[in-house]
Amino acid sequence: MNAADVWMLFIGLSFAAYIVLDGYDLGIGVLTLLQRDDRRRREMYELVARAWDGSESWIVLLAVALWGGLPLAYGIALPSLYVPLILMLVSLIWRGFSIEIIAQYRGWQRRWGLAFGIGSLVAAFCQGAAFGGLIAGVTVHGSTFAGGPFSFLHHGYAVLTGLGAIVLYLFAASAWVYDRTEGELQRWAARGGRVLTLLLAAATVACWALLQPAGTTRLDPGSAARLAVWVPGAVVLAGGLAHAYRSFGRHPDAGPVRGALAVYAGGLILVLGLMYPSVVPPSITVHAAASPTGSLTFLLIGVGLSMPAILAYNAYAYWAFRGKLTTTDEEVAGTSVDPAGRRVAAR
Amino acid sequence: MSQQTLVDLSQWQWAITAGFHIVFPSLTVGTSIFLVVCYAAFMRTGTEVYLRLFRLWRRIFAIGFGLGVVSGIVLTFEFGLNWGGFAHDVGPILGVIIGMEVVTGFFLEAGFLGLLIYGDGRISQRVMLFSACMVSLGTVASVTWILAANSWMQTPAGYTLVHGQFLPRDWVQVILNPSFGWRVAHMLVGVLVSAAFFVSGISAWYLVKGRHLDVGRRGLSIGIGAAAILVPVQMYLGDTVAVDAIAPYQAPKLEATEGNWTSTNTGWNLLLWPDQSAARNDWTVTVPWLGSAIAKDWSGRTPTPGLLQTPAPLRPMILPTFYGFRLMFFAAMAMLATAMAGVILRLRRRLDVTRWFHRCVLVLTPAGPLAIIAGWVLAETGRQPWLVYGRLPTADAVSPLDTWQVLTSLALLILVYALLLGTYIWYVARVVRQGPEDRPVPEPVRAPVAPVPRALGAGRRI
Repeated sequence: MNAADVWMLFIGLSFAAYIVLDGYDLGIGVLTLLQRDDRRRREMYELVARAWDGSESWIVLLAVALWGGLPLAYGIALPSLYVPLILMLVSLIWRGFSIEIIAQYRGWQRRWGLAFGIGSLVAAFCQGAAFGGLIAGVTVHGSTFAGGPFSFLHHGYAVLTGLGAIVLYLFAASAWVYDRTEGELQRWAARGGRVLTLLLAAATVACWALLQPAGTTRLDPGSAARLAVWVPGAVVLAGGLAHAYRSFGRHPDAGPVRGALAVYAGGLILVLGLMYPSVVPPSITVHAAASPTGSLTFLLIGVGLSMPAILAYNAYAYWAFRGKLTTTDEEVAGTSVDPAGRRVAAR
Repeated sequence: MSQQTLVDLSQWQWAITAGFHIVFPSLTVGTSIFLVVCYAAFMRTGTEVYLRLFRLWRRIFAIGFGLGVVSGIVLTFEFGLNWGGFAHDVGPILGVIIGMEVVTGFFLEAGFLGLLIYGDGRISQRVMLFSACMVSLGTVASVTWILAANSWMQTPAGYTLVHGQFLPRDWVQVILNPSFGWRVAHMLVGVLVSAAFFVSGISAWYLVKGRHLDVGRRGLSIGIGAAAILVPVQMYLGDTVAVDAIAPYQAPKLEATEGNWTSTNTGWNLLLWPDQSAARNDWTVTVPWLGSAIAKDWSGRTPTPGLLQTPAPLRPMILPTFYGFRLMFFAAMAMLATAMAGVILRLRRRLDVTRWFHRCVLVLTPAGPLAIIAGWVLAETGRQPWLVYGRLPTADAVSPLDTWQVLTSLALLILVYALLLGTYIWYVARVVRQGPEDRPVPEPVRAPVAPVPRALGAGRRI
């Protein structure tokens, strides 16, 4: 365990923070495509509008943590994932702009809402595809990427992981909406959430099972150490799915969110057990890609000093907006739903 | 298609995405400080007009800030996507600096933005002011780190080169590299000037139209006041950057900026059209004597150094470097004249009623971002063919992509950015036309958790 390993752990945590935080708001974006009622869609937009840019800070942190700490990996992995990542970036811009327009300007909800939903869908798919393209392996020659523009697809495996990411984010979004809203929207989230939990279980099994033929040897359990990581990871993941399935539609409303967090944790343990010590599979390891100790030390000190503050004020921002989405929030943001109307809708 | 095409396209993609991005920081850094000023003034005096200003400018600020965030994400990824060699070679230094930017600047801005924009009624006035301060502080920290990174590429220091990779030797020298101090000051004052004219211009529009006069007058007064102080400072800083941060390190950049090939011209080129491959200008419009005077020889006999002094492969392009500087310079001159006129009018108590002046200020609304983009074109094209000056050639740093990949992504980005920029301008115009609220009421701070109507959900099964 040296500075590079510590940094790898930090990269893993940034990755976790990103997919947990932006995962639900990308998922809500996709959910809005499935919801036909304008007022309920509006509630979902509100949930995203106040959080999305804070959430996206984490993908920037993930990117620079990779770049500063593991520059070789950054210089190889990004060109190899050029197609999905560029599409992801364009979609993220697109949806970020759309949600701000929706939140700030009252007139154009329908048109920009569609743009927001589609942007979220494409971004989610591309993230999953890029992830699949990475874990299935990258062709490297010396210290540069040596594959083609579409070699990330791995005979369609990346499409599978892309769809998997959509399902995962939809599941997380249902859990969040269930926790943060009430009435008809909440019931709708619960109904969808159960179906999505089952879909996610199927998608996880498929992504895991089909990774092997994609041409790497790292799945060979071989060492007991790998199994010792995988088994608890799988247990936590399965437990999370079961808990979420049970909690949708019941009290406490935070139950599905807790289940989703366990799903993320279990999934990350599995992925870390799958990849470590390689960071760009199959050939580039953390230690080969790492910056010199001077850079890592500077990073660790800088991040170590600022992270408590970052976590504190992000937690405060979430705390300030805690509780159910209320009518007053909507009035502030510009819709005109009177409390009585809501009660009628909520029945 | 050749390797050169790939390099050109990758450079164009960077230039367009960075140029698009820079528009938003150049407006939002200063606007965020303006928001702090307005809110603090409101809290101190309780005067309603400050709250109206705050609410109006917050709406304009929010979308520009969002666009700055997302377009900045693109740049972070492009370091690796399009410039994989660069990412590998300078990661141990620049990756770390940009990392510091993210943890100290980016997170601060984004973390408090939600409170600033949506916090009405959720947080107290003090926390609102604090959030606005933190957003401003974050933007300033971002500018500082980004300029540290860019200045290191212009004047690298404090590193050792091991197998083509730049490793940090002395972080103090890396961050406080020779050109950093003046360049960061120049950029910071530049973004403040931009925002001052942005605020002044939109305020002037209300005065021209004769609507919301109190908001227009107050905004114009604050904006022009800030500009009157900042523009002269900026002219001084710009000159110092040329003399202290460029001249000793990047002679070819200055040669290209002045647009001479031979070192015989004692005049100052106003306009020209260069023929880069033939190493001469097709035509020039020159002010005699002025070049020598700028070099502080009033006799008019000192010639300006020309680009032929630099070996052909190391020459930057004259066209963008020359006109980048000219555009920045003339925009600055226009802003200086306007700000000074504003001071005179203010002293004569005519600032609120002088129509021609309001029209001038209105025309200059986009002058700041244009000058900043022009200045960046000068800084970045003038240091070609290097990425890390004198050490890492641009052509060696590009990712091994298919040319069509970059062509497609470039086309896609241009399309999306054009659409976003158009909508953004439309949106700002719309918000401005709508105008501030007539009678803003400070939101009473409620208990953060609204009473949840538990009765509705009790014992619910779905």
